[in-house]
Amino acid sequence: MVFEKLKKIIAEQLEVEEDEIKMESSFQDDLDADSLDVVELIMAIEDEFDLEIPDEEAEKIKTVKDAVEYIQNNMK
Amino acid sequence: MFKTVICDLLNIQYPIIQGGMAWVATSELAAAVSNAGGLGIIGCGNAPVDVIEKEIFKIKKMTSKPFGVNVMLLSPYVDEIMELLYREKVPVITTGAGNPGKYISKFKEIGTKVLPVVPSVALAKRMEKVGADALIVEGTEAGGHIGELTTMALVPQVVDSVNIPVIAAGGIADGRGFVAALALGAKGVQIGTRFVCTKECIAHENYKKMILKAGDRDAVVTGRVTGHPVRSIKNKLTKKFIKLEKEGTDKETIEKLGIGTLRNAVLNGDVENGSVMAGQISGLIKEIKTCKEVIEDIINEARKVKESL
Repeated sequence: MVFEKLKKIIAEQLEVEEDEIKMESSFQDDLDADSLDVVELIMAIEDEFDLEIPDEEAEKIKTVKDAVEYIQNNMK
Repeated sequence: MFKTVICDLLNIQYPIIQGGMAWVATSELAAAVSNAGGLGIIGCGNAPVDVIEKEIFKIKKMTSKPFGVNVMLLSPYVDEIMELLYREKVPVITTGAGNPGKYISKFKEIGTKVLPVVPSVALAKRMEKVGADALIVEGTEAGGHIGELTTMALVPQVVDSVNIPVIAAGGIADGRGFVAALALGAKGVQIGTRFVCTKECIAHENYKKMILKAGDRDAVVTGRVTGHPVRSIKNKLTKKFIKLEKEGTDKETIEKLGIGTLRNAVLNGDVENGSVMAGQISGLIKEIKTCKEVIEDIINEARKVKESL
């Protein structure tokens, strides 16, 4: 379910269609985000999933899969 | 007059800090700015750690006032440089080209103030959360690597989103710009291009002359396709970039063309084939002054401007 919820957030933040978002999509390479878009996305994920993602973890989140795994492993 | 929280935070007389420009912002320039009551900053760019170590050694001999070092976070030497700055207990660090979050807590332990340069509200909020002491909010008017938003639009938006002090940068070179920045809610300014055209700056004479000669439309942007756009004074190099970009050349080729060009302009004075990075405010700069004159003129003009409002 994390993936479904995340897809909505990504679609809204990056202004892409939900069906363009795959597990293996890279935010910057496939979904045309720049580094500042990724910062906004990470912050939206923090809000939606009630998480605190430290910067050293955030910089490892490059694909949808990375985000899903991080969220699943750290959800309260 | 014009004493702000930035003066207290950084222990300086005037809330004016000098931009950490690669190659240009050496210990000579930084020491002169610090001695004149502002905050001088050594720019690391892509320089290796031994070069920066020497610069820190030199500046400590030239001034007893606080100074800073700007770290370019995309530098291949970033971790080593951060270790050096920690060892040397450098009073202030400014950062560019990314998110310095993971380094901040360590510097807090030794009282080093960390001021990230931010080009957006989201990054500003994030930096506040991880403990940045203040933010440098830089508009696209600036020289060198730039963001998208203007100083006029970005500064008040960041000021409204965070509770830490904001320093405005990009397009500021005189007392009018200084007062305008304070009016937008900033507590200080960062100035780059104006300090290039000073006696103490080691940039090649040709580089300084190119800025003095520049008019309002001469500071152009290249490299948008690479995702790392750069503002510099129009010359053979910028024309070549623009032609290649129009032809749809791939970003690797364009990025490669940029390598070594700033050094070539700053040190060798090749201002046709080199990159003369400078801001939109270049057209306003008409003479070489000392750093002390630059700062005092800004403050004196700012006083008059404030009274005349």
